[in-house]
Amino acid sequence: MTIFTRLEQWKERDVISAEQRTLLAGLSRGERFSLFLELNILLYAGILAFVAGLGWTVSTWSQQLGDVLVLSILSAMLAACFWYCFSRAPAWSRGETSSPNFSFDYVLYLGSLIWSVELAYLEKRFQMLSGQWDLYLLATAGLFFFLAYRFDNRFVLSLALSSFAGWFGLTISRWPSHQDVAYRQYAILYSLVVAGAGAILQRRGLKPHFFGTYLNIAANVLFWALLSGVFNRDGYLVWLPCLLAACGASLAWGLARRQFSFVAYAAVYGYVGVSSILIHDIHSDTAVLSYFVITGVAMLVMLVAIARRFGREA
Amino acid sequence: MRAYSAFNQEALRARDLLKDWAGVGFLTEAQYQRMEQETVCELRRTNIFLRLVLFLFTLIIVGAAVALFFVTFLSEREMKTAGILLLIAAAFSYAAAELAVSRARLYRYGIEEALAVCSVGFLCAGMQAVLPHGAEFLVPAAGAVVSLWIWHRFGLPYASLAAMIFVVWLAGYWTSSHSAQHVIVAAFYAAGLATVAAVRRRHRFTYLNDQYSIAEALLWLGIYLTINLQLSSVNLLAQWWGGARTTTEFSRPFYWATFVLMWCLPPAVLTRGLRQKDRFVIAAGSIAAILTLVTNKPYLGWQRHSWDPILMGGLLIGVALFIRRWLADGPGEIRHGFTAQRLSGKDKRWMNAGATAFGLVSPSILSPSPQTGSSDFHLGGGDAGGGGANSNF
Repeated sequence: MTIFTRLEQWKERDVISAEQRTLLAGLSRGERFSLFLELNILLYAGILAFVAGLGWTVSTWSQQLGDVLVLSILSAMLAACFWYCFSRAPAWSRGETSSPNFSFDYVLYLGSLIWSVELAYLEKRFQMLSGQWDLYLLATAGLFFFLAYRFDNRFVLSLALSSFAGWFGLTISRWPSHQDVAYRQYAILYSLVVAGAGAILQRRGLKPHFFGTYLNIAANVLFWALLSGVFNRDGYLVWLPCLLAACGASLAWGLARRQFSFVAYAAVYGYVGVSSILIHDIHSDTAVLSYFVITGVAMLVMLVAIARRFGREA
Repeated sequence: MRAYSAFNQEALRARDLLKDWAGVGFLTEAQYQRMEQETVCELRRTNIFLRLVLFLFTLIIVGAAVALFFVTFLSEREMKTAGILLLIAAAFSYAAAELAVSRARLYRYGIEEALAVCSVGFLCAGMQAVLPHGAEFLVPAAGAVVSLWIWHRFGLPYASLAAMIFVVWLAGYWTSSHSAQHVIVAAFYAAGLATVAAVRRRHRFTYLNDQYSIAEALLWLGIYLTINLQLSSVNLLAQWWGGARTTTEFSRPFYWATFVLMWCLPPAVLTRGLRQKDRFVIAAGSIAAILTLVTNKPYLGWQRHSWDPILMGGLLIGVALFIRRWLADGPGEIRHGFTAQRLSGKDKRWMNAGATAFGLVSPSILSPSPQTGSSDFHLGGGDAGGGGANSNF
């Protein structure tokens, strides 16, 4: 039974109106074809290529062009982007707001990337903060958070979160005796701060639809940090319970909220971490392969049970 | 011939369409709930994340089980015996995939897909070990045929891609001439394209349309990559690792013929995609067009400039804005059946996921190396601030 037959039946039984039937049948036949996704991808690719070329040109020709010209051009573009966004933005709302037009989100993204290029140029040429890169990153993260929340833009929110991560990483690299363990601890701290901030903002009703972005980034950073601890033979007994606890939490959250990416994180990161411990000192091929067969089957059974119980739909 | 009945696949297609339409507001929630109940079918599906994880663990189990069998029972490691056992493993894997579909009624569940993939892998490895010298070309030939069968039987889109890759491998056995290899591969793809284009006409409005659409798009892209010698010359891998770029392996007439074709193909693909209103073919044509612009200078032997990406970016932005405005100016924001409006709930989900992922990945982020006091300005390598653009591309 094709979709057209079904639509006809639903219309005859008054499940849908005649107008709906006409509209939906037309969509199924491709009478109306949306280029929404294609145009967005084209615009995004264009902006990335543009900014990449801008960065390349500035870095290649900065001596010949001169600081004044480079900074004037970058500042003019930056001002134009931000003027466009502030002059056309709808009134701020705590909830999800749609863009006023097709290109709005991308102009903001372009402005944010140009800001990054200009800031890097300023610091490298003039060392205005005497190499205090971490302060630049923190300020940039702050600006991007403001822009993301003001204009409801996920692109810029991701930039903000990654700039914030850069600030965390850079702060540690300045310490005279920075070590992997310090990086790990700060990665965990970063993920907790990001998840906590996301949760607080969601509870307060501030762009609650951003929470998924916060949580996915925090979960991945946390799991990588914990896995690096488990792989480190010196203190894995501390990190393994933490990894298992994180997997349990991720699994519970994923099942409760029907967000199956978190179930996948729990399964994959947990399996990798536990397996690295269990097979580390086994030198028999037979034992290692048997381990993978047995545990693989166990994981498969568990995941199928989860899929049948919770995750039926695509 | 197909593992799934037309009724079940049409029901699944209807469910997907209903979800898309409800997501964009063409159906009310009450209508959606009622209509969805009437599209129930007996196939078992799962969401994309569980599908990926199930695929991964099935690969681990099958791979480890076969390796365990070898370690336990094959002490001499004799190649022929190993090959025969791999062929048996291939048969078992395929039978298991069939069972998973017919008994457990799995559909895009990860498990049956991994089993089918393993069957192709084991078959090729087994044949490689068993076949005598001079008959190795049968390995990619068998791989291509079985991949095509799996594509047809299970409808897995990536199986057609695997068949295309086997064809590339196959051409290397028939001739040592690189030009002839390109022609052979392109000829195979063109034959496949003609077949798909002829067959899919009958299935324009059925559940099979997407399957044929993806196959056609992949074949167009395959033909394009075959004729664009800057992308598919045999020393491409060496070029990626910093080797010298040489296209002298090709004769001048062949080289310039591919240059002309490289420019002719993208408009032809785009035209076909737009006429058919085929999303995947349009995407293939767009990718080919962008690759043509990117590789034009290397083809001509011209020097690249740092501002080339700016021009490219400006062009892409301009094209996107022009098309958007042109469509918006049409009656009801529609021209020739095309619109820039969102007509599917899926688009928004893709946009949200893409914005998060690409916002993170695209600009390299930054853990700048400690300051050296140098005033030279170099973007990249963690030097750019914030969301940092960089020049390392």
